[in-house]
Formats: sequence, C-alpha cells, structure tokens
Amino acid sequence: MSQNIKMTINDQPVGPVEVPDGLMMIDFLHEYLNLTGTKFGCGAGVCHACTVIVDKSNGVSEVVRTCISGVERFNGHAVRTVEGHAERNDKNEITALNPIQTAFLEHFSFQCGWCTSGFVNEAIALVERLEKKPIAVNDVEQVIEDALGDHVCRCTGYVKYYAAVKDVILKTEGLTHS
Amino acid sequence: MIRTNDHFHGLRAITKYHSKLLALVLSLLPMGSLWAAEQDIKNRGEYLAHLGDCVACHSAPNGRKFTGGLPFATPFGVLYSTNITSDKETGIGHYSYEDFYDAMHLGKSPKGNLYPAMPYTSYHLLTDEDTKALYEYFMNTTPIKQKNKPNDVSFPFNIRFGLKAWNAISHEDGQFQSQSNKSDAWNRGKYIVDALGHCGECHTPRTNTFAMNPQQYFQGAVIEGYEASNITPEELNRQNWTHDDLATLFRTGYSRKGTVFAGMYPVVYHSFSYLTEEDMRSVSTYLLDNDADITEKPLTFKGHDKQHPGYKLYMGYCAGCHGQDGEGKPNVSPAMMGNATLDRASPYNAIAVLLKGVPSQHYSIASGFYKMPGYEKTLTTEEIRTLTEYLRSTFTEQTKKVSVKDVQQVREGFDALPAH
Repeated sequence: MSQNIKMTINDQPVGPVEVPDGLMMIDFLHEYLNLTGTKFGCGAGVCHACTVIVDKSNGVSEVVRTCISGVERFNGHAVRTVEGHAERNDKNEITALNPIQTAFLEHFSFQCGWCTSGFVNEAIALVERLEKKPIAVNDVEQVIEDALGDHVCRCTGYVKYYAAVKDVILKTEGLTHS
Repeated sequence: MIRTNDHFHGLRAITKYHSKLLALVLSLLPMGSLWAAEQDIKNRGEYLAHLGDCVACHSAPNGRKFTGGLPFATPFGVLYSTNITSDKETGIGHYSYEDFYDAMHLGKSPKGNLYPAMPYTSYHLLTDEDTKALYEYFMNTTPIKQKNKPNDVSFPFNIRFGLKAWNAISHEDGQFQSQSNKSDAWNRGKYIVDALGHCGECHTPRTNTFAMNPQQYFQGAVIEGYEASNITPEELNRQNWTHDDLATLFRTGYSRKGTVFAGMYPVVYHSFSYLTEEDMRSVSTYLLDNDADITEKPLTFKGHDKQHPGYKLYMGYCAGCHGQDGEGKPNVSPAMMGNATLDRASPYNAIAVLLKGVPSQHYSIASGFYKMPGYEKTLTTEEIRTLTEYLRSTFTEQTKKVSVKDVQQVREGFDALPAH
C-alpha cells in the first residue's frame, strides 16, 4: 500500500486515505470518491477526456490527464473536476453553470458527452490564464487551438466546441485587448 | 501440299519478319543496355542519397523535398540548408560532375566554400563510383525553383574565406581504406557509417577548432540540446545491443532498448530505415565490432525502492504510461527496463527528455509512440534530479548520483540554443 493520500477536491478535503501502489487518479475519483464526471477514454493519455485542473500551492494551475497520472501526483494539491465548476446553494443544488458550460450547451457543442468534461476543464483553465494575461483579439483562435487541439471528440466535431470557447473569451471583459 | 507450301511460305515470311525484328532489336541492344545501366546507376544513386540522409537536412518542415531551408542552430549563428534539386538557377542542376565532386569531397561549391554543416568531412570517403551514382541521381531529380535563405551567421564566421583556412587545417580529401584483418561485412559497415552515414558528425566530440576529434571517435557529444550517444563497440556491447536490436531500432525507430529521438529520429525515418538487409547487418557488424550473433540478456529492473523520494514521483508521473515496473505500453511508450537512454555514463539525455519531452513519433501505419510531455515547468530542478537518479538506479546498473548541477547544465544547454 502507498502512504496515505490527502488532497482537496472541489474545495472539499479528501483523506488521508490509504490507496494501493500505482493507483491512477481516474480510478481514485471513480472508485473512492464516486466522482464519475471525469471520463476514462483511451487510457493512454491521447484523448484528453480525463483532464482535470490542479491548483498547486505556488499559485500555478495546470491541466492533468488522470488516466495516466498516479494519485501520488495530486497528493497535497487542490484538484478541480467537472463536478466543481457550477455555483451551488446551501442545499448543494446547482444555481448557475460556469460560463463555459453554458456556452457548450448553447452551441450544442457535444453529443455523447464523453469528451465534454475534459473540454470543460481545459477551456476553464484557458479562461483563467487569460484573466491573468489577456491576449490580442486576433490571436484568440490560435490560442484556443493551442489549448484544445489535443482533445479528441468523435461525435459532433470540434467547430462547435471552439466556437463556444471563442464566444466566451470575446464576450468576457478583460480576456482580450485589441 | 498447299497447306505445306503455305506453311513454308508462312514460315519463311515469319522468319523474314523476325530476322528484321531481331536485327532491329540487336541494333538497339547497346542503347538498351546503356539505358538499363543508367537506370541502375540512378537507382543506386537514390539508395545512396537515402543513406546520406540528404533529404533530412535539405528539406524544411512542410517544404518540398530537397529544396532546403532547414535552419541549423550552430555556435556561430543559424545556417540554412540549400536547394539541391536539379533546378539550374536555384538548385544544383548547373553543376558539372567536378563541381559535385568538389562539394562532396572538398566542401567547395562553384559559389565558394561550404560550411561544414554539410558533412563533406565524412562524404569525402565516398568512392568515385558512388559519387558518380549520386551525381546522376541529383541531376535527374525534379527541378524546383526556390531561392536559398541567407544564413544568419555573425562576424567573423560570415566570411567564407575563413572556411578555406579551416579546410586547410581540418580537412583532407581521402579514400576509404579497408582493413584487411576485418570481414567484408565489417568493412562495408564502416564505409556506410563513416562516409554516407556521417554518424561521427554528431557522435564524435569536436576539437577546439570544431573538427571531429579522431581520438574520441564515436564517444558521444552534446548537440542541439541532446547528447548524441556513445556508440563505440565497447559501450554498445556493454548495453547488450544485439544485431537484431540495432536493426529493429534503425528500421522502426524503437527496440527493446528504447526509442530514437531528437536528431536521430529523422536519421531513421529518412535514411537508415532504407538500408537493405545485407547493409543493415554490415552496419551492426561494424558498430558492434562483431560478426557473430549476440546473446540477448534480460532487461534490468531491480525492483522499486519505496523509501526513495523518486518512487512517488515515478508512480505519480511515469507509471501511467511506462508501466508500474517500467515495462512500457506497446505503441504508447517505451519500456524503462534497460532503456539505453537511462543506461549510459551521463544522465544528460534522461534529464533532457524529462525536461523537454519527446514529440509524437510514427514509424508506420501500425507503429508509433504518443508524445511524452516535458516537465520543465511542472517539476522542480530537485524533482527532476531525484527522478532521474531513481530511474537510472532502478532500471539500469548505473549508480552514479545525479546532481542539481547536472540538471542545470542541461537546462543551460537548451537556453543557449539560438532561437530560430
């Protein structure tokens, strides 16, 4: 058995919990925490469906694929999954979605939805990066391509995902400059 | 009888017709054999051009074959490869055989001296026969009009006259010399490796004047941020490369000892994968200095040291693709067990790969590896040091400690590369 694992997931403390050696993060989310919104796709780090956000103690956030990353990588860090982005009330009911989630719905971006949680996390991480460091309007499409280009979608294609993200970036104040 | 007569008449007619045809064919035969011989020399020239890996340097990413434009980051500035298509204006279509010979053997083009990024320092060992075959091939490539990019080389290295002086002290044309105490295969391998293969250009350290140092032949050197491996027979045999391992590596880009990457990937892709079976065996015979088959030993995995701080890093960052026991995943990532990138005197390349990752590499429609992410922004210098040390001590017999300075040295090597 590995040492006890402790982290924060969607602002909730998790652990310390003892897990077997070599447990992948996606199995930890599914089997230990019942957080099944993060999807297992290729299992080889190719499709990026299993992407989550890790907020490190040094203030840097990164996107990480959970199907190829052991739970040890997340030990002591704060993790955000697709279950954690919406606003909730005291009864834990969802009151508002994240603007990226809303845009994906409005643009009919997904069909089967398997890749969606990965797209949501990657796009939210992108928006947060742009909040800190805005980009020129002319660069928006390239920046979206750079961020989402590795994510695989086998149903509705990429145009509607990209269009939704572009919409959010252009409509949100402070993310771009001329 | 009539039939017979007819038959005779017919036979005579056929014979007459055939004799004319035969005469025609006979009269054409010298031309036909000449044509066949020309084709043969062009085909051989094409094969030799593959072995020389001309296309890898003389084509830019997304550019057309042999039109040049690929940048080379050198300590003197950025050089760009040139158009070597048969276009008479912008390529080398106007070269006489003597011009071509001088370029390949002496580093002289009709416009002046070539920078030794063009490996005439190795190609000069080519036989006249092979130089002629290459000339025939290059004079018959598709002519493509594309002007050469000017080099971005700082003073005084931008003065080509200096190259003449460099050649005077660092280069001498000469023929390949066979060694009578070695087999034909060994000598053929040495010829391929030293001449067209120009392996020493990366794998042999250079002197103060940037010439290949014959005293350190094939002992490995850092080039463009990575260490071209020590490929002496002593080192390759210590790492237990077999003829099959080398053939698999050169044909497919990976083997049980790991994958090629950085500058060696295009070498395999454009050049060594074209080697005939016979030449491949010759190359491995020379590199291993052994004509006989070699016994394959099991790959090293010494078991995990769970108390080592590198263990958690391995499980968190590496095991998902490379396997919990370093066994790798077919067509995803290579095995760490006995991996030749880890199993070497210096940790340089292991650190370089951890920092920069490896791009996705595909060798055929049925084989390839997914890209490995670089961890230069994710892991601290201390974590890279710890992980490198753990990988080497777990999956190889290398026990040398890795220092923070080792990691910084690799980082500085990448930082020093000119941007292009």
